[in-house]
Amino acid sequence: MATLIAIVEDDPDQRANYADAIVKKGYETATYASRAEALAGFDERIPDLAVLDIILGPEVDAGFQLCRELLARKPTLPVIFLTERINEIDKISGLRLGAWDYLPKPISLDYLAERIASLIRINDVRTSGEDSVSPTARRVGGLVLDQDALLVSWKGRRVDLSATEFRMLAKLVRNPGHAVSYETLMQSTMQSLVTHNTINTHMRNIRKKFEREDDEFAGIKSEYGFGYRWTVGG
Amino acid sequence: MRIGSAIHGPRLVAKLMALSVALLVVPWLSWLLLVEMERALEAMQFRQQLLVAKGISTFLNGREDLFADLPIDPEDYEALYARPITGSARLDGAIEDWNDVDSHVANSFGARAGTADGSFDLSLGDRDGWLYAFVQVRDDVRVYRNPESLRLDGADHVRVDFIRADGEDGRIAITASQAGVTTAYRMDAEWRLAETGAPERSVQGHLVETDEGYALEFRLPLDMLGSRRVFGLSFVDVDDPQTRATRAVTRTLPTAGEESFGLVVYRSPEVLKIIEGLGYAGYRIMVIDTESRRRAETGGLDLGPRPPAETNWAAIPRGAFLKTRQWLEALTAGDADVAQDGEGAAEVIASALAGDPLALRRHAGEKEVIMAGHPIVGAGGAVIGLVAVEQTIEDIETFQYAAIDSIVWVSVASLIAFVLALIAFSGRLTWRIRNLRREAAAAIDEYGRLRSAALSREIHSGDEIGDLARSVSNMLTRLRQHNHFIENMPRTLRHEINNPLNVLSTSLQNLSEDVAEVKGSRYLESARRGVLRIGAIVENLADAASLEESLQAEDMDEVDLEQLLANYVGNCAITHPEHGFLFRGTGAAVIVLASDYRIEQMLDKIIDNAIDFHRAGSAIRVQLDAGPEHARIAIANRGPPLPRDATGSVFESMVSHRGPDNRLHFGLGLYVVRTIAEHHGGTVRALNLTDGSGVVISVQLPLAAAASRAEEKQAQEHSSRMA
Repeated sequence: MATLIAIVEDDPDQRANYADAIVKKGYETATYASRAEALAGFDERIPDLAVLDIILGPEVDAGFQLCRELLARKPTLPVIFLTERINEIDKISGLRLGAWDYLPKPISLDYLAERIASLIRINDVRTSGEDSVSPTARRVGGLVLDQDALLVSWKGRRVDLSATEFRMLAKLVRNPGHAVSYETLMQSTMQSLVTHNTINTHMRNIRKKFEREDDEFAGIKSEYGFGYRWTVGG
Repeated sequence: MRIGSAIHGPRLVAKLMALSVALLVVPWLSWLLLVEMERALEAMQFRQQLLVAKGISTFLNGREDLFADLPIDPEDYEALYARPITGSARLDGAIEDWNDVDSHVANSFGARAGTADGSFDLSLGDRDGWLYAFVQVRDDVRVYRNPESLRLDGADHVRVDFIRADGEDGRIAITASQAGVTTAYRMDAEWRLAETGAPERSVQGHLVETDEGYALEFRLPLDMLGSRRVFGLSFVDVDDPQTRATRAVTRTLPTAGEESFGLVVYRSPEVLKIIEGLGYAGYRIMVIDTESRRRAETGGLDLGPRPPAETNWAAIPRGAFLKTRQWLEALTAGDADVAQDGEGAAEVIASALAGDPLALRRHAGEKEVIMAGHPIVGAGGAVIGLVAVEQTIEDIETFQYAAIDSIVWVSVASLIAFVLALIAFSGRLTWRIRNLRREAAAAIDEYGRLRSAALSREIHSGDEIGDLARSVSNMLTRLRQHNHFIENMPRTLRHEINNPLNVLSTSLQNLSEDVAEVKGSRYLESARRGVLRIGAIVENLADAASLEESLQAEDMDEVDLEQLLANYVGNCAITHPEHGFLFRGTGAAVIVLASDYRIEQMLDKIIDNAIDFHRAGSAIRVQLDAGPEHARIAIANRGPPLPRDATGSVFESMVSHRGPDNRLHFGLGLYVVRTIAEHHGGTVRALNLTDGSGVVISVQLPLAAAASRAEEKQAQEHSSRMA
């Protein structure tokens, strides 16, 4: 059975464009225009991955509600949010909805396809490999980055990062101790439109997630006017 | 401000004070009332006096005979009136014991000079139904009566002739055979012999010799004279004791010869009796005949000057008022109501004689009197005279003066009280309006942003100021709704634009996949760039619009500005290798409470601005100074100075002083700088360098210690407000 990607988007043009691009990559798609429609569809078949627009018609939080419904039925389900606002990243982050990612509009279809592929792959790895650390994992002091499973741990404790955050962190620790410019970090997000502010927001979220596991965490330093730097050796 | 010159008119207080001048109408109205009242009182007195005159005239109507009794002009006979005697009046030939007064009125008869032989002076008095007469005769040869002779006319003697009560002629001769007690006899028609042998005992007298002649004091019962009480008196002078011939007869009326007695009027006749009963102080009643002669008069008027007014301070306004009134009356063509002395009386008399009762006000002496005249109608219906009643208007004046006093003082007091109340009222009004204005002005800050969405003052006042406050408050609320709408506009716009943009973007991507010829077309690429640019524009706008809101969510940490700036300027040299940067710090940690990457964002905007305007090849200088309370970051660049009036406005949203060729600039950069600085409790200023060679943008931020103190204070204020 082919992998089923659910697309929930109220705008028919965008919905069709996503579906076209995803089908081209060899996936099956199920498209819905509203929350009710999507829930009905999920009753028939739970998809392998869901792409959710947050605002659906008059319901401004419909995407989040759908996500909750889906995760209740299938906790390991990867979800990609389509957002319009940078400040909603905070909201998504605060929800701690599990393995997810997001893409701000306007969307690059290439990036979308890439993310879908990687999330499905990662989900496979996670569901099969359990907690064992992949041999390809990268260690930098107390930090362990498992690129395949998109898992991060700090001093032995899991840090729950989104795919975008993971990629940014990976970029940051590639060369520990050296400053990484905003431009480099922007590329790592695989998004078409990124500002310094977006990077700052992401970095702040990453920092918070580390601090949640370790009060003393001070691995991410600001290089004012340039970018960020990973400093902690051990 | 240009509006200033277009503002006209006095302040509220001045206007109200000017209006209070209208209160002067109160004393004016009072004065009018007073004048009206005076007129009413006057009219009342007119009527009253007319009634009195009418009442008296009814007694006299149809009594032509009474006028016949009357002397033509009583004034000619005034001396003949009998004066009441208050003293003992012993019959002793001396007048001194009649009254206390030294001088006794006497009329002279017989000679104009009063010294000729046979002339006499006559004084009359009455007491207890007796008529007293005192006659002083000048006679060079005294001839007493020979007691032997029956003839009584053979010696000096006094004759009294009158009409008796029974209408017959009465004749009495008073004779004396020596000085001392006199004897009186009723005489025959020829005045020669006594009618009866017995003397008339009711007529007693006493004669004394004086240097000039005799002094005779005698009395007779008034009943003897009849109702008219008129008598004549003559002195018969006999100088030759041998022949005893009558030398001369001196009468009370020299012209009287025929049937007349030579009238001597004992007091008033009947008319006088009538009016005397009615007279009382303050009234003068006169009876005037058709020839306008005064025939009878009773009562008197005190026409002397008024006693000088008591000189107390309460009477001061009265004096001023009376003067003002005189002046006013002189101004308004005089007072026609008050006739001068003579004219008024003449007018009344003429009118009454014509049959019309009339009352007039006229001047008399120092005072004003009211004179009322009423005709007396004879038996045939013709006017035979008039009764005039005169009274001073002292009562009216007394009332008037008292009223003036109280009116003036009440007016002054009420005026003062009202003005004070007005001042208090207008002061409070002004105070309230000022407070309202202050609060309304403070509701919007210098950049036009709303600070509060409603007013707190005067909101519950019931008056128009309350209405004003409520409507201003409503305006602010609506304005805030509108502002809210406008602030949300960029975000709404982003939402609305991003979806079609996303359609465009994804469609372009799918297009390039599906249609092989399109892929790699430069048109496709420029279309993509266009999409990205629109996205960036919308993003920037939305970011700036929601900046204040996002700042609220930021965590503040203690940040060392010295370190941050050193790091930042160092990195600038890497990111902008083509420009030079200089940093001069304090050399010590400068701790502020801030969100570090917001400070970074702020610096980005200032540096971007400095790079855009700096002169190629010149360095951008960043300097940090620390004062006791504040840290100051100054970023200076050489380049064109700002227009003078632009130094304040560059920090406002959508204001750009760049040329029109600069795309992707909305003037948001420096607005972001200001918003971030103000969020951190700081200020930002753009200044031209003193030598005009460039621009410095200076951001002042409170030091952490100062900021925490301010925060504590704010928290205290907050908690005290809550309490």
